[in-house]
Amino acid sequence: MRRRLSTWGIRFALLAFMILALGPIVWGLITSFTPTSALTQTPPDLSLESFTLDNYVDVLVSRGNLPDALFDSAVVATLTASLSLVLGSAAAYALARLKVPGSNKILLAVLATQMFPGIVIAIPLFIVYSQFRPLGYSLIDTHLGLSLTYLSFTLVVVIWILKGFFESIPPQLERAAAVDGASTFQTFRLVVLPISLPVLFATGVFAFIEAWNEFFFAIILTRVDVKTVPIAIAEFSGQYRTLYGEMLAAAVLASIPVVLLAIIFRRFIVKGFVEGAVKG
Amino acid sequence: MADVRLIKITKRFGSVAACSDVDLVIADGEFVTLLGPSGCGKTTTLNIIAGLEEATEGEVRIGDKVVNDLGPFERDVAMVFQNYALYPHMTVAENIGFTLRLRKRPKQEIAERVGKVADTLELGQLLHRLPRELSGGQQQRVALGRALIREPAVFLFDEPFSNLDAALRVRMRGEIKELHQRLGVTSVFVTHDQEEAMSISDRVAIMRLGRVEQVGTPEEVYARPRSTYVARFVGSPQMDILAGSFESVDGRTRYRVGAVSFPVPESVAAAAAGREVDVGIRSEHISLGDEGPSATVRVVQPLGPMTYVTVAWDGGLLTARLPGISRLEAGQTVSVGLAPEHLLLFERESGLLIGQGESR
Repeated sequence: MRRRLSTWGIRFALLAFMILALGPIVWGLITSFTPTSALTQTPPDLSLESFTLDNYVDVLVSRGNLPDALFDSAVVATLTASLSLVLGSAAAYALARLKVPGSNKILLAVLATQMFPGIVIAIPLFIVYSQFRPLGYSLIDTHLGLSLTYLSFTLVVVIWILKGFFESIPPQLERAAAVDGASTFQTFRLVVLPISLPVLFATGVFAFIEAWNEFFFAIILTRVDVKTVPIAIAEFSGQYRTLYGEMLAAAVLASIPVVLLAIIFRRFIVKGFVEGAVKG
Repeated sequence: MADVRLIKITKRFGSVAACSDVDLVIADGEFVTLLGPSGCGKTTTLNIIAGLEEATEGEVRIGDKVVNDLGPFERDVAMVFQNYALYPHMTVAENIGFTLRLRKRPKQEIAERVGKVADTLELGQLLHRLPRELSGGQQQRVALGRALIREPAVFLFDEPFSNLDAALRVRMRGEIKELHQRLGVTSVFVTHDQEEAMSISDRVAIMRLGRVEQVGTPEEVYARPRSTYVARFVGSPQMDILAGSFESVDGRTRYRVGAVSFPVPESVAAAAAGREVDVGIRSEHISLGDEGPSATVRVVQPLGPMTYVTVAWDGGLLTARLPGISRLEAGQTVSVGLAPEHLLLFERESGLLIGQGESR
């Protein structure tokens, strides 16, 4: 009896959690297919008769802004993910396997950078970016500038995750490579990285999503030339009027790449890859 | 091909010495095994030969070169690892050919040489498989192939069979020995399995607490162990070592162990020269028959070609190895005889061999 009660309790809790988690998404989806006029009347008209694709047509064709933003976001996120992986994997491997003096302190320092709230560094960063002009260009309002900023928090996670993974690779593999005549870099490139692919992919996706979703630094460090999706979405909310339908349609479109990545990423994680490397 | 010389090799990890003052000469073409329990420094010693670990002190010579400052590859050694350490993302062919790929050999040559090695090891059918699609024995062969293709001056084996089941282990042992006879490449093999060591080696180096306790042919370390440590480690069943004392009965010397005393040759007592000694004897030199002090049969273990019979008396215990299937049964009383010429005398305090019995 008691057991049955607790089962029901768990079911209820799960249901409540599911509604909490999925509710806004469902609401967003419905909104994106409903004209803003139908949404803003009281009570809102959510019937099937008001179903429309106008919002999507609007944001993709007429209102022009979103496709550019999707492109900018893709550039920034890809750049961030790639730089995170290249720099992060090298740093993580060095910290995991090479005799780096004070590696523990370095790791702590890396982590410590996360203790500053974004708002604390946003303004200094803005000033640095606008004053510092290598080759005469400022980093303000550029893809690279935004990516560099994102690196400051994606790298931390990438380094820590990859370091843990590299440490779990049996050292005999690297010793075998050394005996076979591989240099440290060859061992890293030809042995360690290929067997780390699933983890590299997962951390890369993480960095991509972080950069894709970021709003705060984007609004401070970019203006005209570069406008990422979160900023573009926010612009649907005006001083006098918010275009809920269009805004949510844009949000749904912006989520698609992330959702797709998450699905692939899950398949990779599940796939045990190192099995068969070392027996015992 | 080359000989390997370790000269006063010491390796310290912090304040812990993994091996100290290891002196070992491995002749060109010789097969030497480093034998000892885990933590005795045998793998560290092997890694120092390989160049995977740096000696704190001492000199490693391969051929006529001091190789202390050379990397594993420049030392021209190939190594087979305990866990095979195959590259999981490469096929069998790629695993074996990796070293040639690193040396930027032409594809054609790589394919040819991989094919040749694969034929030697009967891996021809498996070249396109990944390591995880192979059985333990096949993986072991690939690891061997990766070493063979190098045609190195020295082969190093780090407990290569420890993950194989017993039957396969015996087979691989035979294969390695045959391979060595055919290629004649200097080989250093590490194992904790004394039977393995005895069966494949030209010489065995028994290690203890980072030092080489004894180096000798399998026959030598078996018949004349330098200490009780070696005596106990080599041979199965273990050598029986009796802790008793000499006494004189009716003018004849005897060795008393608990309630029983065995007649021993005069020379044995003379070798002891008043020191306290333990007496060791191999199971095959113990006879159970009509002559000698009596003891009770405790356990009978028939193995087919031989039978282990453990006999006990008040204060002592011995395991004899009798040929064929024995008719003895537990509880029976038997007389125990020790072949005097095979008695080994160990000084009790140091555990060192000080003498051997002679025939009466």
